[in-house]
Amino acid sequence: MTSKEVWSLFRLINKNKNLAAKRHPMFEKNRAMKVFTYIFIAFWACYLIFFGFLFANVIEDGKTEPYDVINGGLIIFLMIDFVTRFGMQETPAQEIRPYKLLPIPEDFLHNVFLLRIGLCGYNFFWFFFFVPFGFVSVAMLPCYTLLNFLGYMLGIWLMFVLNAYWYLFWRTLINHHTAYWLIPIAVYAAMVFLGMMEGEWLMDFSRNLMRGCINGNVLSYLAILALIAICFFVNRCFQKRFVYYEIARVEKILKVKSSEMSFLNRFGEVGEYLKLELKSIRRNAVVRKQFITGIICTVMLCSLFAFTDAYDNQPFMRSFVCVYCFSALGVITLTSVMGAEGNYIDGLMSRKESVLSLLKAKYYFNCMMMILPILFCIMPLAEGKMTIYEALGCFFFSMGVIFPFLFQLAVYNDTTVHLNEKMTRGGKSTKAQIIVSLVALFFPMGLMYILMIVLDAMMAGIIMAAIGLVGTIAHPLWLKNIYKRFMNRRYENMAGFRATR
Amino acid sequence: MKTWQVSVQLDNVKKTFGETVALSIDSLHINEGEILGLVGNNGAGKTTMFRVLLDLLKPDYGECRIGDFVTSRCEDWKSYTGSYIDNGFLIDYLTPEEYFSFIAKVNRLSKDELDDRLRQFGDLMNGEVMGQNKLIRNLSAGNKQKVGIISAMLHNPGLIILDEPFNFLDPSSQLATKYILEDYNKKTGATIVVSSHNLSHTIDICSRVTLLEHGVIIKDYSKDYENLNTELSEYFERGLHHETQP
Repeated sequence: MTSKEVWSLFRLINKNKNLAAKRHPMFEKNRAMKVFTYIFIAFWACYLIFFGFLFANVIEDGKTEPYDVINGGLIIFLMIDFVTRFGMQETPAQEIRPYKLLPIPEDFLHNVFLLRIGLCGYNFFWFFFFVPFGFVSVAMLPCYTLLNFLGYMLGIWLMFVLNAYWYLFWRTLINHHTAYWLIPIAVYAAMVFLGMMEGEWLMDFSRNLMRGCINGNVLSYLAILALIAICFFVNRCFQKRFVYYEIARVEKILKVKSSEMSFLNRFGEVGEYLKLELKSIRRNAVVRKQFITGIICTVMLCSLFAFTDAYDNQPFMRSFVCVYCFSALGVITLTSVMGAEGNYIDGLMSRKESVLSLLKAKYYFNCMMMILPILFCIMPLAEGKMTIYEALGCFFFSMGVIFPFLFQLAVYNDTTVHLNEKMTRGGKSTKAQIIVSLVALFFPMGLMYILMIVLDAMMAGIIMAAIGLVGTIAHPLWLKNIYKRFMNRRYENMAGFRATR
Repeated sequence: MKTWQVSVQLDNVKKTFGETVALSIDSLHINEGEILGLVGNNGAGKTTMFRVLLDLLKPDYGECRIGDFVTSRCEDWKSYTGSYIDNGFLIDYLTPEEYFSFIAKVNRLSKDELDDRLRQFGDLMNGEVMGQNKLIRNLSAGNKQKVGIISAMLHNPGLIILDEPFNFLDPSSQLATKYILEDYNKKTGATIVVSSHNLSHTIDICSRVTLLEHGVIIKDYSKDYENLNTELSEYFERGLHHETQP
């Protein structure tokens, strides 16, 4: 191929990949999500900029320069970067499949995709921290000039490029077998352990390397470039080998035994939908992940409350934890209510009132899961950290107010949740979901806090329990209302579910 | 087995997607006990018609009746209607056994009734659907299709609507499906509406064949019509020549 052809092919593939990112299904359906993604990035950027300035000014002990302190701990930044890449970066072996049969040399394709990883914008993300930090702690020092600052930034960028290839190596292996997760974890753990036990050799090495970059020492750049080159070529060999694995990859089909769950038969049609709910959690990765996250959050918050004195004598934080203990699982699992069902919504809609039975089953299931915070409340109740009124208040308020509020999303959710989607496909929260979950999280907490201040903990609990009890008893009414509204919006929702399957 | 008398009526139904008219039917009446075959090229509006009829898609105007009920106004017709259009009907994280049991229970069939019904589909399942210990999502396209067809017929409906039922099926299963539909129609008097690209199967089982193109009914043939096979073949061949001419 001539250099002109190489360049035009590179541009073409690059254009395709940029279009793929721009036309990601997550954004195509959901403009709000696009806006929120930008807001999310802007939030983190501001956060990093703030810390960049803060660290540059705070870390000063007269002996060590701030940049030496940060450079000594560069491994921590690289570790965080390594973990966050799991949500962002695919392997070329996955990306190369559509190009495999085209008349383009395979080596060229591997080089292009690997080069893209080195040049990708994400490698600049940490600049939000390092640019303000480097500017204040390096460029502003009388002994350095702007060139030293630029040299430092170049060194930092190369380190993150190196990290991108290091990540790629492990990600490719992890795609092959999940157990490979253990090796990078062990490597990082060993680094931290050795760093702590065996003096500061790692910190010194990283400090000296980056000091070399600041001072424009060519050897420092060459050392990093050499490591990048090694990683590049190792990855190239790996990708070439693993592309065949990706192409021939067949999902492992687990043998499943049919499960009767006959103990739920007594609940009639709702029992059948309860079975569906349980099977959905057991057999669908995304639903299971949501459920486990909710359980972990609940257990963590309950444990913090029950077994530590972190929230003792802090009314605001007490109401915060108390409410969250009871509502965390619901907030996490119910914000995407009906999303999983979007996969088979046509089947549900072709059967009479099946969505109503499904909603009832979901409500009863979430109420049943409240047993978990109840159990955890026994300890703080016994220790007097929490009154029975507060516990009952949160219990009934969750079932009678927070859940009905979250269930409103059943009317508006029209995006199918891909039941077994890969981690790189990210979340798809809509504007309504974000607003509802924020209100569900903050309104009860605020209400409880105000009631505790205006009245007292006992009365606050009683009032919340009374409000919640009304909502709980009235659940057939509000569920029927949600069902009616769902039916009024059914064409719109079904079209949305089909379009996002 | 219970006998049925369910008719279907579409009146002045129109559905457009942007500028494209997907369906425009002035009037279509499907008589009780009739097996109607819908034929037409891709994009003719067959699936759209089914979706509108089953209240899965809102028409721009017009209304559809199944039996005595307007499908968009109530849900009573669902209890005697069985349908399968695509994978969106299947709960794919269940095994076929669990799915059939679920369908049976929401339709209030006892375990014995379910077993009895499933036995009648033995030829169609051909030992490849039940007892595989696989989730529906891990079945082949053909076996998914079988699960869909069986689930539509499981509760002895008075109206069966199947979109491309012969797709993905091997020749033996196609024949089994044909016999099952014919037999069910004879025994119960149920009304059956199928769409298919397979002219020979459609002509074999249907008492009436409706030709749909660009959302409009072009012709409505009775099975007694002598030249049905020839005329349909000629129609599609004409379309082929027309499309391939420069």
